[in-house]
Amino acid sequence: MACAAGRVSGARGGSLLEVRGVTKRFLGLVAVSDVSFTVARGEIVGIIGPNGSGKTTLLSVIAGMVPPSDGAVIWKGEAIQRLRPDVIAARGLVKTFQNPQVFAELSVFDNVLVASHLALKHARGRHRALTLVGIEGRAARGLAARVREVLGLCELTRAADQPAGNLSYGEEKMLGLAMALMCEPELLLLDEPASGLGHEEVDRLTAVLRRLHDAGTTLCIVDHKVGFLRGLAARVIALNYGRKVAEGRPDEVLNDPAVVEAYLGRAHA
Amino acid sequence: MRSDFVLTIFIYTFLSGILTVTFDLIFGFTGQLSMFHPAVFGLSAYVTHLLVLHVRLPFWLATLPAAAAAAALAVVVGSICFKFRLKTFYFAVVTLAFAEMLRLIIVNWNSVTNGTLGLVVSGKPTIWWPGTGIVAIRGPVAWYYLTLAALGATVFICARVLASWMGRAFGAIRLNEDLARTLGINVFRYKLVSFAIGNALASFAGGLYGYYTGYIDPGYLGINQSMEVLAMVLLGGQGTLTGPIVGAFVLTALPHVIDLRAEARAILYGAILIFTILVMPRGVVGTLRAWRVRRAA
Repeated sequence: MACAAGRVSGARGGSLLEVRGVTKRFLGLVAVSDVSFTVARGEIVGIIGPNGSGKTTLLSVIAGMVPPSDGAVIWKGEAIQRLRPDVIAARGLVKTFQNPQVFAELSVFDNVLVASHLALKHARGRHRALTLVGIEGRAARGLAARVREVLGLCELTRAADQPAGNLSYGEEKMLGLAMALMCEPELLLLDEPASGLGHEEVDRLTAVLRRLHDAGTTLCIVDHKVGFLRGLAARVIALNYGRKVAEGRPDEVLNDPAVVEAYLGRAHA
Repeated sequence: MRSDFVLTIFIYTFLSGILTVTFDLIFGFTGQLSMFHPAVFGLSAYVTHLLVLHVRLPFWLATLPAAAAAAALAVVVGSICFKFRLKTFYFAVVTLAFAEMLRLIIVNWNSVTNGTLGLVVSGKPTIWWPGTGIVAIRGPVAWYYLTLAALGATVFICARVLASWMGRAFGAIRLNEDLARTLGINVFRYKLVSFAIGNALASFAGGLYGYYTGYIDPGYLGINQSMEVLAMVLLGGQGTLTGPIVGAFVLTALPHVIDLRAEARAILYGAILIFTILVMPRGVVGTLRAWRVRRAA
């Protein structure tokens, strides 16, 4: 997938993201407490935890949607925890939403075209202004082709002309993923991509994510569907009550007594 | 005589059309309910005339500093509003407050603006015409073509902007700001760009209006103007380029055709506003488009 791999440089393995002692408090409530972990280039990292364990808040902090109360988010060696979400997205760290967010009035094609904002900016920079006087340039002309490529990857080609508001829940999730891909992410933060999906849709999503990963995109996936993550992630981080309780290979983490207790209660640990 | 009457309606329609199309760039396409538009319209009428009068600039040259002043003011007002993330009603109220501040400055700066009495504009814009040389724009026919060309240029510029990445960013902001941010769109910057472009283009309508009517007064900056522009856009169809012109035509022609007094005109605008919001929220053009889509399906 050329567009996803376009901005990935260097070999796999170098640290892309470091979350360092991140805490997020909402008034008296501690949603995330002193969480640290790293994501290396080319990895698929899963973050699991029961409802209310702070997974979505942690992802929102990383993507710049809420500032952390303490700690730092380091992206390629630079602290980004005070940057705006659009600046963070422009650096290559793109997040999808737990509840699919689309521009319901626009067609599926136009939704992905809107998401080409960063791709055009990266390709044309200030020369984008020339498009105002009818000078398109190769990058601008190629946008529609790239939109179709991304729609094909996310299996949305047949729905391209439909209004996004008419899509099924699963298709909306795929559209959210397609829009994120159009931003040319180096690291894609996926917030519960499999929640609310049927078996077939989860299988399709898994296949799409594998293709993305093979093309060089690093993935950080939050989900509470353990089976879905077990098949994808090489490393899993478990959260409970906002704290990191385990980290390691999926099987190790899923057998960890702290994780079993978090999901099933103390009697099963 | 009758044709002059029709031409006059069209001239006012085209001048109002510049205002409504540029207002719709900010309101219908970017989703920001600005009440600052008439302030820029009135201010640029004053600035253009004063530059011609005191600095001896030709009319066309004087419209450029007026447009620059409009854009600069829009950047200042927009920066304050967008920095504090003011939306919908709050944005409308604060922009209205800024517009009122400007109006009061103009009312009270007697030595320059002649206060509530306003200024008489005696000159006319000139253009170079092949074979004739420099000629003054006089008479309804010349003004008809001039204002039509000005509206055409405004629509062309707005259409180019809306077809570009900027237009897509405006739409994304209107439909879902949070999603727009995660897609890398600088919401603050693009709101400001839309506000500045809309106001800068609206300033040309102000300059032309003063010279067409031959008179400028602080009423140009009043809330009534805001309501008229809003009524025109809602009636014609927000979020379209043709709708605001249709709305401008109907609400310009109607009071002249049925000869309404100012109070009756205000009641008519209010009634049309209520009717449109309740029965035809997409406006004339939006409703026609939806009807055509349904017929085609």
